[in-house]
Amino acid sequence: MNILSEFRLFSVDYTLPLVFADDSPTCGRELTPTADADLVAQLQQGSEAAFRTLVARYQDRIYRTVFSLLRTPEEAEDVAQEVFVEVYQTIARFRGEASLTTWLYRLATSRALRARQKARAQKRFAYFTSLLGFDNDVLHEPPDHAHPLALLEGQQQLQLLLDHIARLPDQQQVAFTLHHEQGLRYEEIAAVLNTSVSAVESLLFRARQTLRKHVQRHRHA
Amino acid sequence: MPDSVFRPDPDEEWEALIRQLQAQPKAGPQPFFYGRVRARLSAQAAAKQALPGWLLRPAYAMLLGSVVLTLSGDGRALRPDPEPTRHVRTSAQPPRPLPR
Repeated sequence: MNILSEFRLFSVDYTLPLVFADDSPTCGRELTPTADADLVAQLQQGSEAAFRTLVARYQDRIYRTVFSLLRTPEEAEDVAQEVFVEVYQTIARFRGEASLTTWLYRLATSRALRARQKARAQKRFAYFTSLLGFDNDVLHEPPDHAHPLALLEGQQQLQLLLDHIARLPDQQQVAFTLHHEQGLRYEEIAAVLNTSVSAVESLLFRARQTLRKHVQRHRHA
Repeated sequence: MPDSVFRPDPDEEWEALIRQLQAQPKAGPQPFFYGRVRARLSAQAAAKQALPGWLLRPAYAMLLGSVVLTLSGDGRALRPDPEPTRHVRTSAQPPRPLPR
């Protein structure tokens, strides 16, 4: 099953609770599940202040997650906004079977992947129409994946890595990004992807193998 | 001299690259993010109030459009012409001369 369709299903049925631990490196761990539960309860009562708190609490994590999948600030901003709008509109249906954090990461990753799929389709269409000569306009600007750091001297390897992360299959990319860039643990990623820890280990193993192969090939070329 | 002297261990290289990835400056949304989210919510709410929800579904919108198009005509196709021979000139009527 395609990851996007899985995400659409999972956005309705939350089955795996996210277990928090004090020793995790992820930011925001000082927030207990109870604090999130209180926040959800207030949100479901229509509290404006609770929504403001939610956005303030999660905007950086959601933005970074989306940015690491899309690599353009404009798209990341747009998708991050969409995530919070969806939270506001659907919080009444949130049953708490997954933690709020898990739910937010699911929304963020699924929306980011959908946005990327749409952008790729538009790019393909623009290329196709340009081949047929339907328009003489300049093609839509391709997304700039160049990270500011990667533009500095000696950062080619990082840029190469980022390029190849973007080409990974969806689930591998989400798992790799959530683990290596967002610092989520295997259990947390499993909850977000609604899969098992061993499946996450497998995804990460395959992702690392692919990335290492490409990076080393480039180095020895 | 063996190449391995100059080339670091692939595992170390990989770990260094991952550390480099994790050491990237943390991106964040522009200031006043909450205000933009609220504005987006308000815009969506206004759009929903302007149109009933069922009309936002393409199938219903197309059905409504086709009904409007059908009814907006003069309905000539649906009604029989009350005087079908009114404007038909027969050979029994001679052409009248133009007034001078």
